[in-house]
Amino acid sequence: MASQQPAGAAANEPAADRTVVIERTFDLPARVLFLAYSKPEHVRKWFGPPGYPLTLCDMDFRLGGRYRFAMTGPDGKQMTPFGGEYLDIVENRRISYSNAFEKEGAETMIVTVTFVEQGSRTLLRIRTVFGSVAMKQQHMSMGYEQGVGAGLDQLAVIAGGLVQA
Amino acid sequence: MPASSFTRSLDLVFAALADPTRRAILTRLAKGEASVTALTERFAITQPAVSKHLKALEHAGLISRGPRSRFRPCRLNAKALERAALWIGGYRHFWEASLDNLDTYARQLHQQEEKPARKENSQHGKSTTSRRRRK
Repeated sequence: MASQQPAGAAANEPAADRTVVIERTFDLPARVLFLAYSKPEHVRKWFGPPGYPLTLCDMDFRLGGRYRFAMTGPDGKQMTPFGGEYLDIVENRRISYSNAFEKEGAETMIVTVTFVEQGSRTLLRIRTVFGSVAMKQQHMSMGYEQGVGAGLDQLAVIAGGLVQA
Repeated sequence: MPASSFTRSLDLVFAALADPTRRAILTRLAKGEASVTALTERFAITQPAVSKHLKALEHAGLISRGPRSRFRPCRLNAKALERAALWIGGYRHFWEASLDNLDTYARQLHQQEEKPARKENSQHGKSTTSRRRRK
């Protein structure tokens, strides 16, 4: 897969504008983090924020294999499943996969996780390339409606303004 | 950001934001700093009540206060509000919280891994719980 361009990506939107990078350094060897990523019995233990356990976690962890996940929310209802295909796996170094919600017309994102060992520590980088700028914006503000419900809409606007200022 | 601190600081921020008076105080401070006296007049509640709210906001890092004890002007700390906005901004929060969990879980995995792998031999004896372990 030479260009990891999500299907249906808007051709005129540069990848940089559709990309989000999240990084974290762990005081652990890359091999342990890779292991935690590569088996469903491990992934179940950490994937997702508190209160949203993975209640569906099927993984065929090999190049071209597919996975399918779903979380259950605090209300006890399973949320929309999502999944995709493993596009690249380099042991202890890199995992790349496609991801989309199982929903009519859902766009696909490509997620690349790299494990960079730095002495006894490991830098984990999650690079997500969304299918379009609109998709990225939608995901970045996914919890927004709940925020509005909690009376936080105004504060978010204020915060946005102040941080940019 | 150090591991695991993201969700903890969010807990404080959202506990502080859970009160309508405190949100009103923040909205006021977004327009500029203000003294306790000015805030007391504006919100028509007692000064001790205002001070209590300010303490909660300060504890969450949402405001900072000037050094002079009597008049200490209150100032909004935009960075902490930005963290709340990041939470509202779904995807990043999703991963930051997941990585907090990953850190905790992968440490456990690592510790288990470092123990001599004898699980495969457990059929040799049932009383494996008393195995001594060097850590």
